[in-house]
Amino acid sequence: MTAPARRQETGREAKETRETRETREAKETREETQETRETREATVREAKEAKEAKEAKEAKAAKKAKEAKEATVRDAARSASRHSLAALLALARFEARGLLLRLPVVLALAGYTAWIVWRTLQPWDDYPVLQDADRATQGGPLFVGLAALLCANQAVLRSRRHDTERHLGVLVLPRAHRTAAHALSVVPLALLTAAGVAAQFTWEALKPGALGRGSAAELLTGPLVVLLFGAIGVLLARLVPSAVAAPLLVVVSFLLFVGAGFPFTGETGAVWTAPLAAGAGTHSYPSGLLGRPAGWHDLYLAGLTLTAVLLAVLLSGTRARTVRAALAAALTLTVLGGVVQTGGVPAVTTAARLRASLTPEKDQTCVRRGTATYCAFPEWTPRVGDWARTVERVQSLTGGTAHGRPLLVRQRLDARRGLLDDAALAPSRHPRQVTVGTAWGGNRVPEFSTAVAAVLVAGDEKTASELCDGRMVTVMWLSLAWQTDPESALRHVRLDDSLTGSAIVLSPTEPLRMTAGQTEVVRALLHKPVTGVAVRVKAHWAELTSPKITTARAAELLGVPAEVGADRCAQ
Amino acid sequence: MTVTVSASGLGLRYGSTHALDEVSLRLRRGVTGLLGPNGAGKTTLLRVLATAVPADRGAFTVLGHDPATARGRQELRRALGYLPQTPGFHPDFTPFEFVDYVAILKELTDRAARHQEVRRVLAEADLADVRGKRIRKLSGGMRQRVALAAALVGDPGFLVLDEPTVGLDPEQRMRFREVIARAGEDRTVLLSTHQTEDVAMLCHRVLVMAGGRIRFDGTPAELTARAAGRVWSSAGRDVGAKAGWRTGDGGFRNIGDPPEGASLLAPTLEDGYLLTLDGDLAEVTA
Repeated sequence: MTAPARRQETGREAKETRETRETREAKETREETQETRETREATVREAKEAKEAKEAKEAKAAKKAKEAKEATVRDAARSASRHSLAALLALARFEARGLLLRLPVVLALAGYTAWIVWRTLQPWDDYPVLQDADRATQGGPLFVGLAALLCANQAVLRSRRHDTERHLGVLVLPRAHRTAAHALSVVPLALLTAAGVAAQFTWEALKPGALGRGSAAELLTGPLVVLLFGAIGVLLARLVPSAVAAPLLVVVSFLLFVGAGFPFTGETGAVWTAPLAAGAGTHSYPSGLLGRPAGWHDLYLAGLTLTAVLLAVLLSGTRARTVRAALAAALTLTVLGGVVQTGGVPAVTTAARLRASLTPEKDQTCVRRGTATYCAFPEWTPRVGDWARTVERVQSLTGGTAHGRPLLVRQRLDARRGLLDDAALAPSRHPRQVTVGTAWGGNRVPEFSTAVAAVLVAGDEKTASELCDGRMVTVMWLSLAWQTDPESALRHVRLDDSLTGSAIVLSPTEPLRMTAGQTEVVRALLHKPVTGVAVRVKAHWAELTSPKITTARAAELLGVPAEVGADRCAQ
Repeated sequence: MTVTVSASGLGLRYGSTHALDEVSLRLRRGVTGLLGPNGAGKTTLLRVLATAVPADRGAFTVLGHDPATARGRQELRRALGYLPQTPGFHPDFTPFEFVDYVAILKELTDRAARHQEVRRVLAEADLADVRGKRIRKLSGGMRQRVALAAALVGDPGFLVLDEPTVGLDPEQRMRFREVIARAGEDRTVLLSTHQTEDVAMLCHRVLVMAGGRIRFDGTPAELTARAAGRVWSSAGRDVGAKAGWRTGDGGFRNIGDPPEGASLLAPTLEDGYLLTLDGDLAEVTA
C-alpha cells in the first residue's frame, strides 16, 4: 500500500472511528439526557410532592391553630357572658334588697298585709266561694305595684340624680345590664306579693264552709301586676329621666281608671286591657259560668311586662340582636293575649249562663235530707248541710202539717244579663219551693230562714212576697226565734238595720215588708222563751197562717200585748 | 420594667379646641404623676385612658388590652380602677353598700368573697369605722376616700386618680398618700394633681401636660433639675424673672434666667414644673 493510500485508509478509519465515537457519544449523551431529564423530573416531582405535603401540613396546622384560637375566643366569650349574667343577677339581688327596704314599699307591704287580715276576718267573708276568693286577691297587690313603680323609677334615676353615671359608665357591667337588674329587682317583691296572695287564698280555702274552685290564673294576676308596674317604672325612667314623671303617671292613671272608669267597666272586652279586670258583682256564680279569660290576661300582662323591660334595655344603649328578637316575641305575646282576652264572653258560656238561670235543674245535683230535698249546683252541694240545719230548725217550730211538709230547696241565680247584674231574683211560684242563693253566712242565714218560714206559712214565695197581714208576725218569729241572737238577726235581716218602725225584710228573692206594729209584736215575742211561744204557735197554727189574720189577732193568740191598728204595708 | 400602659398619637378635639394633641406615653408599674395647669387636658387624658370617652385619633393599650374592640374595652375595664375628678355618690348608701355596688359592677359576683374585698378596701381607705354610716353624713374627705375605695375594689391593675387630694386637709392628704403609695407598689397608678408635693413624695415618674400635649416626661428629679441655676432670690421683684413672689422672709423668690451674680437658690419640683410650662405660665405676682 502506497503511502497516500495508507494515509487515505488511515483517514477513512479515523473518520469512521470519529463517526462511531460521535455516534456513540451522541447516543450516550441522548441516553444521559434522557436519564437526566427523568432524574430531574423525579426530583421536581419529589420536590413538588414534598412542597404539597408541607403545604398540607402547614394548612392543617394553621387550621388547627385557627380552630384553637376560635375555641379560645368562644370559650372566653362564653366565660365573659357567664360572668356578666352572674353579675347581672348579683346586681338584681342588690337592687332588690334596696327596693324592699324603701319606705313606700315597706308601707305598701304593711298595708297589703293589713288589708289581707282585715278582709279575711270580715264576717261577710265567711263561707267563701273560691272562684270569687281568687279574684278578691287582686286589689291589694295594686298598691304594692304602685310602690314598685315609684321606687324602681327612682332607683333607675339615682345615677343621674347623684351624677354617678360618669363613674359607673366605665365599670364592666354596661348600662343595659343595670337597667335589666332594676327590672329583675322587682321579682322578689312580686314573689312576696305572690306569698300574700297564696296566704289570703289559703286562709279563705281553709275557712269552714269554703267551696268552689280557685283559678291559678286569677291568683297570678296580682303578682304579675306588681311586675308590670315595676317594669313600667324602669321604662319610664329611661324614657323620661325626671323624678316627677312617675308620680304624674300614677295620678293620671288613677284619674283614667278610677275617675273616668269608662271603658274599663262591665263585661266588655275593653275591660281586659286594664291591668286588673276585677268584674266583681254582688253574686257568686258557678265557675263554669264565669267565662273570664284570666289565663290570656296573664299572658297579656307578662307580654306587656317583658315589652316594657326590653324597651328599657334597648333605650339603655344595647344593640344586641337577641334583645330585639326578644322584644318582638314579647310584643307578639302581648298582642296574642290582648286580642284573645278582649273577645268577650264566649258563646258557650253565654248558653251555660242562660241554662243555669232558666232551667237550673238541668245542671243541679239534688240531695234529700229529712223531709226536704236540696238541689244545688255541683260546687255548692257541700253547703246542703248548712241549709238543712236551718230548714229543720224553722220547721221544728211550726205546727199543723207544716212540720213534716216536704220542701224543695232550690239554688237559683240569674246570669242572663251578665255577672255584674245586681237585680234580685223573681220569687218562685212553685208551692213549697224555697230559693237559696249562692252566698251563705252572716245576713244570708236569717234571709234564708225568712224565706223558709215564709213558704211554710204562705205556701209559696210569690204569695209570701205580698204578705201584709198578721202572718208576717209568725214568719218573722219562725225565722228568728231559733237563732243565737234573734234581735241582732232581726236587725240584720232588715234592709235599714233598724229594730223599730216599718222595714223591708231581705230574702233570697224579692223582699218582704214589716209594718211598725208587726215589728213591735215580733220583738216582744223574741223576748219571751222560745218553748212557750212555740207551744202557742203550734196550737194556733191554722189561724196564724190564715190570710185573714190581723197583726193584732196574731199578737193576741201568741200572748203578747199589742196596740196596733190595721195592717197597712205602705206605712 | 414592663410597659403596662402605652399610648401613641392620642388626639381629641372639642370643637376647635385640641383637648389632646398627639399624646404618646408609656407607663410602668408604680405611681406616675400628671401635672398641668387647668385646661391642660389632664382630665381628658384620664377619661380617655379610663374609656369614659373615646379618642378621635391614636391608640392605646392597658395591660395588653386594646379598647378599640368591645372585648378589649371590657377587659380593660375589668383591670381598671377609676376615681373621677368630682365623684358622685348615692347619699342614701353606706360606704359599704356603695363600694359593694361598684364591686358588683366590676363583676365580683361571689357574695362572700366580694364582701371580704369590700371590707379590705374600706380598711385600706381607713373607712372601716364608718362603713355603716350613710354617705350623706360623711365629711368631704371621707367621701373622697369612699371614692378611692371604690376605685381600689377588685384589685385593679391600672388605677386612674383624677385630683384625689383636692379639698383635703393636710392630715387627710397624708392618709391619701399612704393609700396611693401602697397601691402603687404592685399596680400602675396615674395620678393627676395640682399638688407638686404629692408628686414629689409619691411618684417615680412625672408627666407635665399643657395645651393638650405632653411637655415633660421624666423623673421628679429630672423635672427639678430643669430649674437648677434658674431660681434666685432678690430684694425686689426681678424684671427678668418669668415668675416671682415675695416669700415669708420679705425677699423675692424668682424663677427664670437669673442676672449675673444672682444669689441662686435650690430648686424644687414646682420650680421645674413652672419653668417647663414656660409659655403657658401665667405670670405669678407678689
